[in-house]
Formats: sequence, C-alpha cells, structure tokens
Amino acid sequence: MKSAYLITLVTLVLAGLFSDFDLGAEEPSPIDFTRQIRPILQAHCLECHGGVKQAADLSFVHRDAAKAVIVAGKPQESLLIQRITSSDSDEVMPPPEHGSPLSPTEIKTLTRWIEQSAPWQLPWAYEPPVKSDAPNVSSPEWCQQSLDRYVLARLDQEQIAPARQAPPWQWLRRVTLDLTGVPPTPEAQRVFLSEVSKHGHMAYTNTVDQLLESPAFGERWASVWLDQVRYADSRGLGADGRREIWKYRDWVIDALNDDLPFDEFTIKQIAGDLLPDPTINDLVATSVNRLTQTNEEGGTDDEEFRINAVLDRVSTVWQTWQGVTFGCVQCHAHPYDPIQHKDFYRFAAFFNNTADCDLNQELPLLPVPLDPADNLKANRIDRHVDALQQSIWERESTLLDSKDANWRVVDQMQAASDKATRVEVEIREGRAEYYTVDTVSSNTEITLTVSLEPEVQRLTAIRLTIAPGNPEKAKADSEWGFVLSHVQAALQPAEGESHPLTFTRVIGDEPKPFKNPDDSLNGKTNNGFAAYSRIHYPRTAVFILDSPIEVPRGSQIEIKIRNGVTELGAFPLIAKRGHVAISDRPIFHQLLNDPSLIQDRQTLAARQAERSKIPSSRIPILMERPDHLRRPTHVFTRGLFLTKGEEVQAGVPAALPPLPGRNPETGSGADSPDRMALANWLVNGKNPLTARVTVNRIWARLFGIGIVATEEDFGSSGQPPSHPHLLDHLALQFQNDFQWSMKQLIRSIVLSSTYGQDSRIRPELQEHDSQNRLLARGPRFRMPAEMIRDNALFVSGLMSPQMHGPPVHPPIPAGIWKPFQGGDKWKTPEIGDPNRYRKSIYTYTKRSIPFPMFAAFDAPSREFCTPRRLRSNTPLQALMTLNDPTFVECSQAFAKQLQTVSEDLEPRLRYGFLAVTTREATKPEVEALSDLYQQCRLEKTSEIDALTAVASVLLNLDEIMSK
Amino acid sequence: MQRENPEQQLIRQALESRTRRHFLQNCATGLGSLWMATQASGANPGSGHDRQNPLSPTPPPLPARVKRVIYLHMVGAPSQLELFDYKPELNALDGKDCPASFLEGKRFAFINGTPKMLGHQYKFQRHGESGMWVSEQMPHLANTVDEICFIKTVQTEQFNHGPAQLMVHTGAAQMGSPSIGSWVTWGLGSENSDLPGFIVLLSGGRLPRVGKALWSSGFLPSVYQGVQCRSQGDPVLNVSNPEGVTRKRRRQVLDTLEQLNRESHRQFGDSETLTRIAQYEMAFRMQTAAPEAMDLNQESADTLKSYGAEPGKESFANNCLLARRLVEKGVRFVQLFDWGWDTHGSNQSESLNHGFRNKCSQTDKPIAALLQDLRQRGLMEDTLVVWGGEFGRTPMRENRMGGTMAFMGRDHSPEAFTIWLAGAGVKGGHSHGVTDPVGYTPAENPVQLRDLHATILHLMGFNHETMSVPFKGLNQRLTGVKSAKVVGDILS
Repeated sequence: MKSAYLITLVTLVLAGLFSDFDLGAEEPSPIDFTRQIRPILQAHCLECHGGVKQAADLSFVHRDAAKAVIVAGKPQESLLIQRITSSDSDEVMPPPEHGSPLSPTEIKTLTRWIEQSAPWQLPWAYEPPVKSDAPNVSSPEWCQQSLDRYVLARLDQEQIAPARQAPPWQWLRRVTLDLTGVPPTPEAQRVFLSEVSKHGHMAYTNTVDQLLESPAFGERWASVWLDQVRYADSRGLGADGRREIWKYRDWVIDALNDDLPFDEFTIKQIAGDLLPDPTINDLVATSVNRLTQTNEEGGTDDEEFRINAVLDRVSTVWQTWQGVTFGCVQCHAHPYDPIQHKDFYRFAAFFNNTADCDLNQELPLLPVPLDPADNLKANRIDRHVDALQQSIWERESTLLDSKDANWRVVDQMQAASDKATRVEVEIREGRAEYYTVDTVSSNTEITLTVSLEPEVQRLTAIRLTIAPGNPEKAKADSEWGFVLSHVQAALQPAEGESHPLTFTRVIGDEPKPFKNPDDSLNGKTNNGFAAYSRIHYPRTAVFILDSPIEVPRGSQIEIKIRNGVTELGAFPLIAKRGHVAISDRPIFHQLLNDPSLIQDRQTLAARQAERSKIPSSRIPILMERPDHLRRPTHVFTRGLFLTKGEEVQAGVPAALPPLPGRNPETGSGADSPDRMALANWLVNGKNPLTARVTVNRIWARLFGIGIVATEEDFGSSGQPPSHPHLLDHLALQFQNDFQWSMKQLIRSIVLSSTYGQDSRIRPELQEHDSQNRLLARGPRFRMPAEMIRDNALFVSGLMSPQMHGPPVHPPIPAGIWKPFQGGDKWKTPEIGDPNRYRKSIYTYTKRSIPFPMFAAFDAPSREFCTPRRLRSNTPLQALMTLNDPTFVECSQAFAKQLQTVSEDLEPRLRYGFLAVTTREATKPEVEALSDLYQQCRLEKTSEIDALTAVASVLLNLDEIMSK
Repeated sequence: MQRENPEQQLIRQALESRTRRHFLQNCATGLGSLWMATQASGANPGSGHDRQNPLSPTPPPLPARVKRVIYLHMVGAPSQLELFDYKPELNALDGKDCPASFLEGKRFAFINGTPKMLGHQYKFQRHGESGMWVSEQMPHLANTVDEICFIKTVQTEQFNHGPAQLMVHTGAAQMGSPSIGSWVTWGLGSENSDLPGFIVLLSGGRLPRVGKALWSSGFLPSVYQGVQCRSQGDPVLNVSNPEGVTRKRRRQVLDTLEQLNRESHRQFGDSETLTRIAQYEMAFRMQTAAPEAMDLNQESADTLKSYGAEPGKESFANNCLLARRLVEKGVRFVQLFDWGWDTHGSNQSESLNHGFRNKCSQTDKPIAALLQDLRQRGLMEDTLVVWGGEFGRTPMRENRMGGTMAFMGRDHSPEAFTIWLAGAGVKGGHSHGVTDPVGYTPAENPVQLRDLHATILHLMGFNHETMSVPFKGLNQRLTGVKSAKVVGDILS
C-alpha cells in the first residue's frame, strides 16, 4: 500500500510549484488550513491516517475524526503535537520506519494552528465559490471582458505583459475551429478581414454571434460532452453488439444548438423521466444513463452487470458534474476527500431502482419517432397510453388481494416436474408451497395438484404466487426470475373425466410489465406473467376463468406451469417456489364486464396500434420500478456485490450541501430523495462543484488546459487552480448572470482579450511557463481526432452538411472489421455517396473496434467517462493522414478543387495554403510547394497527380492539425 | 510528445518551466527532497526520454532479466485438466455426482444444481529430466518441458470470457485500462523505432470478444497501444502508399512537408512541430521495416517446416514464427491470441473430444518450435514466453440448462488454472503451486493474476508498486489496488 497513493507527493510538488505564483511569499499571521496545514497532514500523516487506512481509527481527512488528537487552543495538551515531537522512537509519529520526522517549521506551523483554535477547512473545491471584486490592473483598457482583469492581474503580479493581439486571420481561425470544428473558408477569411478594417471590434462580435448560430456549434461541442458520458453505438462487454441510441447523440447536438441552459440540460439527463409530463426529448435525454456497458455473453449474471452499470452511473455523475473520482469509494472511504464509503452506496441508491437490468433486449425501450415532427403526436399517445395502462391496472389489480375475492389459500398440494428438475412440497405459514430442489432444467413443466376444501362449490379464479427459492435472502440478493410461458389447468372430480379449465385473463402485479401476463395463456409464445429477469419478492398473478365453474365435492385442480425461457443460454428462468389460492366469488366477472374497463381496454389497444404506426427508433431509456418492487440498496463490503452490508437510503455526502427541500412541481426533495432531487442538488446553485467543473471544462477545450489542470480531479489530490478567483468568477457568472447559458459563457471567453492574444510562443516565457498557465499568449495545440478528420473533409470540399441520423460507416482499411457478432456489418457507402463524408461525430462508435483514425489520434473508445484527452504525436498518425483511404480521397478532391481556382500554378498553391492554414503563404512556402509540383511534372506526372502530391503535403501540415 | 498520461503530461510541462535547481531552492518545506525520493524509487518510468521518439529505448529502474515478451493467449480458456494438471483421483470420480462441498457458495457460468464429475479425457505421462506431467495432446511441447515453468494455481476473479480476458491483460475487468504490453512499452520503449513496440497477432478466425480493449493503451498515450499486424494485406494499418504513389514520390512529399513545417515552427515557435517532423520520418522508415519484418518468405524451408508455417496464411504457426522474427528485431511485446478454446461440450467444435484436439494439434508443434528456435538463436537469454488462457475449467462435466450435453465439456472455473512461462529469468522444468486432488482449487501456493503481473514486471526491471501513473486521483497500477507479490519460487 505504501505507494498506492504516491500521487500525494506529486500533488505537493505541484502545490509547491504554484506557491511561487501566490501573492505574498511571507507567511501570513493567521494560519491558512488549506495552504499550510493540509499539505503537512497529507505529506506525513494521511498514508496511515487517511480515508483508506485509518490506523487507530484516526483520520485526518475528516474534521470530526481528527478532533480526537487536537485540543483547540492547547497545543501542548494535543496528542498530535505530543506525538510528532516525542523523542521516544516507539511514540514518535510518523514511526521512523514510515517516514522522517516533521521539520521544526512544520511543527511550529501546526502548533500555531492549534493555538489559533485549529480552524478546519474543507478542500477548496468543497467550499462555495466566492464572489470577488474585479482586481485592479495595470491596463484596464486591455480588458474587454471581466475575466481579462483576473488574467491581467496575475500577469501584472509576475510583471509579464500580455502578448500582442493576434492577427485577425489567426483569431478567426481559432474561433471558427473552436465554435464549429472546421476552419474558416478563404472567402470567410476575406470577408472578415474587410469587416475588421471597416468596423473594427464589431466585426469580432458579429462573427462570434454568427458562429454560435451555426448548427456546427452543437456538433463540435457534443463531441466534448459525449466523451464525458461515454457515448458509443455498441454495448461493450460480452459480444459488443450494436446499440441503437443515436437519438441521444442528436438530442445533445440539438440541446447545445438551442443553448438549453446547463441546469435543464442536467435535469433532463439525470431525471427527465421524473419530470411532470415528460416529453419525448426529456425521455431521450435519460438515455445517457443507458450508455453503460452491458454483457450479453452467455453465462453472465444479469444482476452483477446491472450493478456494474449502476455503479458506473454513479461514477460518471461524479466525474462529469463534480470533477471528483468517486470510484475508489466503492471499496473504502475516499483516501483524501471527505467522502465516506457509505456515501457511495447512498448515492448509488438514487440509481438502483430503474427497470433496466442488463437484458439483451435493452429493455425498457422508447420508440422515438424518426421524424421529430411526430414527437408531439407520439408523446400525446404515450401519455394517454400510460394513463390508461395505469388506471386499468389500478382497477384490475385490486383483485390480487381483494376481500371481496375471499381468496382461499390451498393447504394441500402435490407437485411433480419433468426433466432433471425435482420439486417438493412443504407447509409454510399455513399454506402448501412447492419448491424446486437442486438442478433446474430449461423448459421444465411443473404440475401442481391441489385439493379443494369441501365447502368450495364453485371456482372463478386461481391465484398463483411465485416466490424466490430463498425468499429471505433474495430481498437483498435477487435470484434469477421466472416466466410462466404457459399455464394450463384442469378440474379433476373425485370420479370421472377431468375437464380443462379455460382462462380469459391474467392480471399481474405490475402496471407496465416487460412481458404481457396474458401470454401465459398462449402456448405458442414463451412469454407470460414474469419476474424478468430477477426476483426479489414474491410475485402474484390472478388467472380468471372465462366463466364460473361448478366444483363437485372432493375435486382436485391440476395446474401445469411451463417455464419456457432460458436467459443467456445458461440460466433456466424457473418458478422455483409457489403457492396457490382459489376464489369462488363472482367479483372477477363483474369487473371484467365493467363497461368502462372494456371501453378503456379497447381505447388502449387502439392507441397502441396508432403509436406503432409512427416510424421510430427504439432506444433504451430510464424508467423507475414501481414502489412495491423497489430494490433495496446495501453497502457492499470491500466493494463486492455478493457481500452486502447495511442497507442505506439515497443521500449525498455530508461535506456537500444537503439535498434541496421539496420541489412542489415534482414532489421530490430531501424528504423523498429520488433522481430528481439529485439533479436539482447538482444545479440549484448551492453545489460548489457543478459550475466550476463545467466552466473549467469549457475553458480547457478553448485554451488546451483547464484553470484546474486535472479536470477529472477537483479533490485534494488534484491540482489547485492556477487562477482561483478567475475560476470562481466564471462559475458564478455562469450560474447567475448567464443563467447556465453555455453559449453566453463561451461568447464571453472568445471575445476576451486573453483569448484574442497571438499564439506565437514567447521564447522568454518558455522556461517560466511552457504550458501557458499564466495565459500570456493565445492557445495553440493539436486538435482532437474528429476535428483533424473533419478539417480534411471540409477543406477538400467533400464534407456532407447532413446533420443527425443513424451512425455512418466511412471507409476503413480492409481487415479491421471483424466484429464478434458477424451480423454487425460495416457497410461503406460508395464513392460520391454523402454518407461517406459525414462529420466525424456521426461515425459508428463500436467499443471493441474503435474507428482506426480516432484511435490513432487519442480519441477515447468510450468505455467510461473521459474527462479530457491526451495529445500524442506518433508515426501511426502520420501513416493515417498520408495513406488512409479517406485522406487519400481528400487529397484527390482537394487537388481537383485547386485546378478550378485558376489556370496558373501560383494562385492555386496560394489558395490551397490559405484554405488549410487561414493565412497567406510566405514566399518560401509558395516556392517549396511549387518546387514539389515542378519536380513531379518533370517526372512526367500528370497535372492532377502533381497537384494531389501538393494537396497531400497541405493536408499533412502541422498547421492543419493545430488550432 | 512523451510516454506519459494526462497528469504526467501536466507535471512534466509544469516542471519544464522551472529548472530543477530553481525548483528545489523554492521548496522551503522539504518537498524537493520528496520529489527526489519519488524519482529515485522509479515512480515515473515514462519520464526523461528522447523528446522526438516516444518509443526510444530506456533502461528499466531495476536490474532486469527479460527484455522482450511473447505472450500466447489461448482465447476461450483451455482445460488444464486435459493438458498439464494430472489428477489420478479425478478419474476415479468420473461420472459420479459432484460433492455438495464443491458447489456451496459458488457461482458458475453454465452449471446449475448438481453436475457429474468428469475424469481426464486424455492420457498423461511424465516427460523430460524434470518428469513434468503432460497430456498426450501436446507431444511436441512435451519434449520441451525442461524449458517450462508451470504455475498450476493461477486464480482470477472473473468467470465470463470478456471480463476475464481483460483481467489477464489489463488487470481490470472493465474495458479501458492499459494492457501489460502497453505498460512495458511505455516503461521501456522499443529497441526498434521503425516498428511498433507492441504488436498483436491473431489466429483462429475470430477477434476476441472485447476486441482491441485487450491491447488498449487505456489512459496511457495511444502510441503505446498494441498494433495489430496481419499476415494478409497491409501488415500494419496504412503502411502502404496509396495506389500510384512511389516511394520516391513519398520522399519528395515528405521533404516538402518538412520544409513547410520548419517554416511554421519558425513562425510559431512550437516544439511539437519538430516532434511531428520526426514522426513523419519514423513513419517513412516503418513503411519498409514492417513489411520486411512480416515477410515469412525470408525464412528457410527448414524453419518453416519446423513451425508448420505457410507464408501468406493466417495461422497460429505463422504467428509463432512472426513472433520470433519480431522479437529478434527488438519489438518489446508480441501478443498472440488464438481463438477457439472454449470447450463446453455444447457442440463439436467446442468440445474436449473434438475441437480441443484440433486446437492442440494446431498449437503444439509451433509452440515447441518457437521455444527451440528462441533457444538456438540465443534469444531465450532475454526473452520470456508466457502461455495461458483467461481461467480454468471445472473438474465437473457441464450440465448447461440442467441437461446432458451432446459432447464432452467443462464449464468455466476461475479458481485454479495453469499458466506457464519459459525463457529468461524463470526456472525450467519446474512446477509451482499444487491444486486439490481434483484440480479444482489451489491446495498450496495460490497465485493471483496480479501476482503474475507483478512477476512479469519484476523480470523486466520494474517494481509493480512504483510502476504507476496518477490518473483520476489514484496512482494506477497494472496490479491494481490490492496487494500483489512477485512469485519468487519460479525465478531462476
């Protein structure tokens, strides 16, 4: 364990580095816990007294735990001071074999801190952002946006002047790439330069406003979001089969283009299904939670992988919205941050009651109209259908335990079964109950013979209650469920022939089951009343006879239950335990013949038929399970789902603000903690992390590095912000002034003087600030994979402007596509088909076979949340952009385009260079290209091939790959 | 660009802005000495290399016995009970009900209820001076047992193929972590910068189910991901010039490109531009080096025969020979995957009495030839060969869906399986760990996959605890957060 958390050291090194930049090197008189005390604790104490290991139950992560060794105001009485200053080698902390003793300066600092009554602070990111006045700066006129003051103040402090303003072409290239993912055309460049000369600053704001309105804005920024939420068009583990979920990707693009405020953007994704009257799009947004990996492999435990998915949702929410790595809390308390082991499971409880459960069919699914114009109509029908289903079920399900049914529980039963399955009968709580023993075979038929009490003279309905094999244990550790594929019954009088009984309806205990209970009556399907695919609690269904039947004294009823479903080629879904009740009351037929119910059922069928006519893409969404089937959530001891500890209720860590009070509109809040309460908690303005993490992400995409460089870690093991006040200023501006508008935030940043600086690297600053943390120049860095590909398609004129729709399959080299499931075809459109040249965001993303170009350029394969990407520089990238079929096609198309520019060579070359870099070529640059062309021509290469060679150079320039 | 993950990238870049001396001077609280301590412990194997070449070879922090690895993964999990783990008592139980004690608290992929025990399907014999037991299905390999070090008690936490294969190669059951090959290539670079440092070869006709996640670089830079090479078509993706582009023309294009990139560097002063120039030059060299390395026609007829290799085909035999060629040229990690070892008994090809025999005959001779060839060429001195599946198989006969299977087969068993190693740094003719009398669970010396990982890293000169990268707030290691140990007993 010694080195497992070495990161502390690295963090400290960086903290040390940044302390250089801090105001005032002198130690201020009141001790600052964050700056002075926590680093000491982290360096010397946390390895043994942290979140993971809490030797002697002492932890310096949590204030309450640390109090045990601190007497505020009295250092000499504090065990902490006594132990760190002890001269006894058995007493002194840290023990000599664990580390060197604290330095006299450190001891003095700790002593003074305790003298000052040991004030404790949460790690900086857990404290709310602080509003500050814009700092005074040397040159207020330089500052076009309020954020510029924070940047300049820092530069003033370092006595560094900002870089000169970028030449207009450079700014235009940067902002066009940042906002739309592709560079400006030569025409756009010409127009902009002339606008600048005419209107000056206005030209800049007009350009930004136009670019923000471009539909390409949503496509560019969706890619950033899809990395966070691990979007892919395949399922991951198992066979990595195709998952149809592209409607979610389109929703993100549209939400960004519509500038859906980030708070709503959040609420819809986390809890869109719990909004009052959710729209189709609200439900589509919840698909984000269904982007988790599932496992279709034969012989895999659905519950194990359902839980994995739930835990991944927890980790992704924390990583994406809170910038905190929560995954480690699955096994133990957070090593550095004030988060307890139990907090993980309290948080998991928010997500633990959704209906999905690693099923191959990805249920529950929502048919989303292919044409968004149908959304409203489809939604109206859906709501009507939902309401009808609920209301019909509420009326019918009263029969399950109605007093008027006078259910008689059967206490005499014989049970038999076929195949290798064995059954026995026991009396349990006064009723006869069958149960299976040991091996259960697929397709087992269980035959129950029940004796009726002498006073029963008539039979109107039979009630089957199917329980888990081990009812007590299954509450926490669900078992494989059952599907009653076919249920038949016969009346066997004491004497004479038996008569088959005819049922007319099956009423189950769920309003919206995955499988229709009535199918239990249809021997031709394998569906029917089910706990699919897991069972926690006993489940009940009523089988209603088509007409009451007279029962001679001493009759028996024989019930045959066929269990026809086997899950994942391995697990027979068998009703492992059950009991029977019968009724002789007429109530069933009264209810079934109720005119309003009949009318409602007819309307329901008609509406469902109407809905199925709307052409749709069926996508997995979130849906809550009914309350009476709610899954309990337990702490997993050491993170293992098979060893469950105490049961927990949904909640948030104590170190963060509590859940908001009850929301009158949705009914959720602290007293009924559900996903809606959680979503509101993230974005109600009191959460200290959400806005900071979000503005930091946007900042990092624009500048190449975040104000907090470790975008994924705002905790105490991450890097502290380079400009803390700037981060808080932007966060507060974002959530308050901009009302969570991402476009307004981006607008204010790209119109800032900071962003508008020349990106030329200043040699004099290279040693001091190679990463441009001080922001003394404009950003310049290699673009992400999708933008590199899109740039080649765009400048060569091949790119299709088509938006939205199912994923496409652009060319890939032969031999790449060998999916595990042969049915998943990669059908490359022919040359000339627009689908061959779509923007990269529409490319089919298969987790086990990433698109080669993306994989070579550091795009993540989207298994789980990737807060930020690496930028590597490799020979395989060079082979890709030189030889890959798409890039070769781009070179050829670009060459043709150059031919159309002019009859002369030089204008062709100049145009090509401008299209690729947005700047005019210098003389040596034109000469180099011209030399290549002439050389080719001398070697008897055709004009078009010589131009293709030139185009290939242009499409491989460092500048085309750099912002 | 360096071999580093995002946080290291930040750290390195931050440190570049300060000289070390400057930095240490500014650290009043002794942080500087801490920093030096982490350096000395080899915590950052990926730092301080040739800026222009992220694959440049670098010495490991600790003495190493192994420079290169050939890893032979038999996809689907071969039965240890039909190959190397001989258990006479199992034969005595053949056909009897499995004792309840074997089933209590266990989860299986396909077995349910009480299955029957299943005896060895093949005969075993002792071989070599060491007298190691090997089944009759591996007659060639049996002749090389004195080279081989068996570990009979390897354990894993996963009993489904996808997660279990990920466990073997990345130490984690979910997709997204770097594979062993990526870790060591990141740590050591490659001795041949004209070829990828980590090469993957497939046979058996199918891609493993989690695909490239098995040779992913995870949170390490993409340059360390495994590069799949092929016997047919382009040996490395896009290594051939497009139709009509000659090597001469490509040279002219690259010369012009360099001129322009240098001009751009003059204007923007970005050192990444220079790195890019170097990458294009490496790519150019790779265009000849890769096809040359993958060309089996350069081998003698005798060599081809000894492996059973046929140039131009996709086969495990070809891949074994390619593996030797690649390590000979300095490739750091060669990973073979051979599909088709999942012997449930549910159909002929997935059965111990049919498909399994074919798999044995396809791999027995090539593996024996590989070991011999490496030995003859002196490559065994610093090359390690590893053979194994992703878990073992049950001593019980599978009874999928509660029925009797048409063919002989065994279910997945994560608790004890055999992996063997041969070559540098490990004992030959040795067996570590003993399973219970039916080969079901370890009786002595269980070895976790993370222990195997720690051992491989140890042989390559790394301490598995310090070979880590900070990512998402945790120091990520191949061996994970649970404690792992080097299996000292197998080291020579």
